[in-house]
Amino acid sequence: MKGIVFTVVMSMTLLFVWERVDVVRLGYHIERLKSQKVLLERERDGLRVKLSSLTSPERIARAASDKLSMGRPEKGQIILVHLEPEPPPILQPDSQQGEVRVAKNMPVRRSK
Amino acid sequence: MAGVPSRGRWMVVTTGMMFAFVFVLIRLVNLQVLQAAELTIKADRQHQKSVAFEGARGTIYDRHGKVLAMNMDVPSVFGVPSSLANPGQTAKHLSPILHIRTGELEKKLRQEKHFVWLARKLEPEQGRRLERLALDGVGVVMEGRRFYPKGPLLSHVLGFAGMDDRGLEGIELKYETFLRGEKRVVILQRDALGRAVFPKGLNEKGVAAGHSLVLTIDEVIQYIAEKELDEAVNRTGAKSGTIIVTNPKTGAILAMAVSPRFDPNTVGALSPDRWRNRALTDSYEPGSTMKVVLAAAALEEKVMSPGSMIFGEHGQMAVANTIIHDHEKSGWMTFAQMIQRSSNIGAAKVGMTLGDWRFYDYLKEFGFGDKSDIDLPGEVTGLLRSPREWGRRSVASISMGQEIGVTPVQMIAAIGAIANGGLLMKPHVMSEIRNTKNLPIAQTKPQVRRRVISTETARTLTHIMEGVVTNGTGSKAVIPGYRVAGKTGTAQKIDPRTGAYSSALLVGSFVGFVPAEDPQLAMIVVIDEPRGESWGGVVAAPVFGKVGEQVLNYLGIPAEESVKIALADSTL
Repeated sequence: MKGIVFTVVMSMTLLFVWERVDVVRLGYHIERLKSQKVLLERERDGLRVKLSSLTSPERIARAASDKLSMGRPEKGQIILVHLEPEPPPILQPDSQQGEVRVAKNMPVRRSK
Repeated sequence: MAGVPSRGRWMVVTTGMMFAFVFVLIRLVNLQVLQAAELTIKADRQHQKSVAFEGARGTIYDRHGKVLAMNMDVPSVFGVPSSLANPGQTAKHLSPILHIRTGELEKKLRQEKHFVWLARKLEPEQGRRLERLALDGVGVVMEGRRFYPKGPLLSHVLGFAGMDDRGLEGIELKYETFLRGEKRVVILQRDALGRAVFPKGLNEKGVAAGHSLVLTIDEVIQYIAEKELDEAVNRTGAKSGTIIVTNPKTGAILAMAVSPRFDPNTVGALSPDRWRNRALTDSYEPGSTMKVVLAAAALEEKVMSPGSMIFGEHGQMAVANTIIHDHEKSGWMTFAQMIQRSSNIGAAKVGMTLGDWRFYDYLKEFGFGDKSDIDLPGEVTGLLRSPREWGRRSVASISMGQEIGVTPVQMIAAIGAIANGGLLMKPHVMSEIRNTKNLPIAQTKPQVRRRVISTETARTLTHIMEGVVTNGTGSKAVIPGYRVAGKTGTAQKIDPRTGAYSSALLVGSFVGFVPAEDPQLAMIVVIDEPRGESWGGVVAAPVFGKVGEQVLNYLGIPAEESVKIALADSTL
C-alpha cells in the first residue's frame, strides 16, 4: 500500500515538474517564433516600401523615357471610343470587353 | 550505556538547534515581513523587465490602395557611458558607420549618464554593421520610422511625422489620433542570462497598430498634376505654383500640389515655408476668376442675362475718384462677352448693379471668408470684409477680384458648385479609415454644404464659361474633343516695399471644369509671380489643358465628339 502511495506521489511530483519545465521550454520556443515573426514582418515591410517606391509613377515615367525611349502621346493621338451598350453577345475566344483605346496612326491590335 | 548520548549533550544539541531555528525564524520574519515590500521590488527588478511597446503607425493609401506612407522598423543606436572603458576608441569605431564626427560621439559617450542616444532611425545596413561590430557599452534597438516611398509626391498633403513618430503636418497631423499605434507596457520574466522567458502578458492581445487611411487622392493624377505644375513654374520662373483637381460632384480631392515640392523623408532643416500647404494656408487676390462668382450672382438674381448689353466705356471708367482700365477696349458688349473678354469695367458695372450687400451675400454663400472645412490642418479663412467696412470703390474692386483674399481650396469649391449644378460641396481628402483587420470603420460621404445657385443658372454660366475657352482669354486651356468651361485670372500683388499694387508682381490663374456637359474634373491652377508674360491665360490655362487631357485619358472619359461604335459590330 505504502509503495502505491509513494509511486502516485512521485508520479504527480514528476508530472508537475515536467509540466513546469515544458512550460519554460515552450516559453523559449514561443519567444524564438515571435522573434522570427518580427524579422519576417520587418522584411515584408521593407519589401513593401521597396515595391511602392519602384512603382512610383515618376520612376516609371523616367524609366519609360530614358531606358525605353518611350514618349508621351501627342495631343489628340489618343481617342477614347464610346461603347454602345449591346445585348450580351456570344463571347468569341478573341472578343474584347471594356473600353477600347485607339492610338492614331498606329496599327490597331486586339488583345484579350 | 556506552553509545547513548548523555543528557547534557542532548541539551547542548537541542539548544543549539533551537537557537538556529529561532535565528532562521527571525531572519524569515525580517525578509518576508519587515523588508517584504522593498525586496519584492528588488527581485522584480532582477527577473522582470518592463518594455513599452507601441503599435506601428497606420499606413496611408491612395484611392486605389497604393502605399503613400508607411512605417518600417529601423535600427537606432544607444550608448551606456557608465560601462565604457575607452569612450574615445568606441567613438572611433562608430564614426564611419554612423557618419558622425568622432569628437561629437566621444562627447556623448563621456557624459555622466547611464543611457544616451547616439543616432536614431538609421538605415537597416548600418544596424547590421553595428551588430557585427558588437561593441561593449553600445546597443542597437529597433524603432518605427515613417517612410514616404514616393518621395516628394503629395508631400504638401501628406505632411510628415517626427522622430517620435508623431504627425507634425498635413494628413499625418490631422488624423494623428487614428494613425497612431496603441502604446502599452508589457512585463517580461527574465532568466539568469537576461533572456525573456515567459511574458506575463502573453495571453493578452498584442499591441494594436494604428488605423490606415485611404485617401481620395489618385496617385497617377497627382503625378500628372505635379509634373505639369513643376514644368510651368520652372518655365515661367515663378516663385511658386498651386494646383487642385477635384471631382466636382462629390468634393473629393483627386490631386493637390504645391511647387516647389519637398521630400518628406528628408524634411530636416527645411523652413515651414517649404512644407506649408499653400493651397489652403495662403490667400491671394483672385483677379478675374472672381467674375465667375459675380456672374453667378447676377444671373441668379436675374440682374443680368447672357444677352444683356453692357457698355465698355472704351476701356476706361472712373469709379470713386479712381480709374478702372480694361486690357481690351470695348464698346457695347453682351454680358456673356463681358465674361469672355474679362472686362473689368463690365464687371464693375454688374457689381454696382447688384449692390454691396447682395453681392456680399453670394460671396459668403459660395464660401469665401469662411473655412471650407477641408480635412487638412492650417486652413485660413481668406479675407472678405463686411460691406460696412467697404469703401466707395469696393464693390467694383471685388467684382474684378481685388480687395478680397481667397484660398485655392475656396475657389475650387466655388467652381465645383457651378460645375455640379449649384451645390457647394465640402472638399475632402480622406475617403476611408480602416482598422488593422482592413475593415472600414469610417467613411467620408459626399457632403452638400448648401445650394448656392439654381441648376438653370449653373447651366447658363457653364455655357458662358465655355465661351471663355473657345472665344475668350482661356483659349490655351482647350482640350481637343472635349468641351471645357473655365475662366482666367490675373491679379496684381501688393508690393511690400511700396504698399501699392505692383505691375511686376502678379498671380496668374485658371479655374475650370471638363467635360462641360457632364463635369468629371474641376481644376484650379495658380502661378505665383511668374516672370515675363504673366496673364492667367498664358501661364495657367496651358497647365489646365495639359493636365486635363492626360487625366481624361487616364480616367477613360471619352470626348463628346469621339467615335461611337457598337462593340458587337466592331471590326477592330
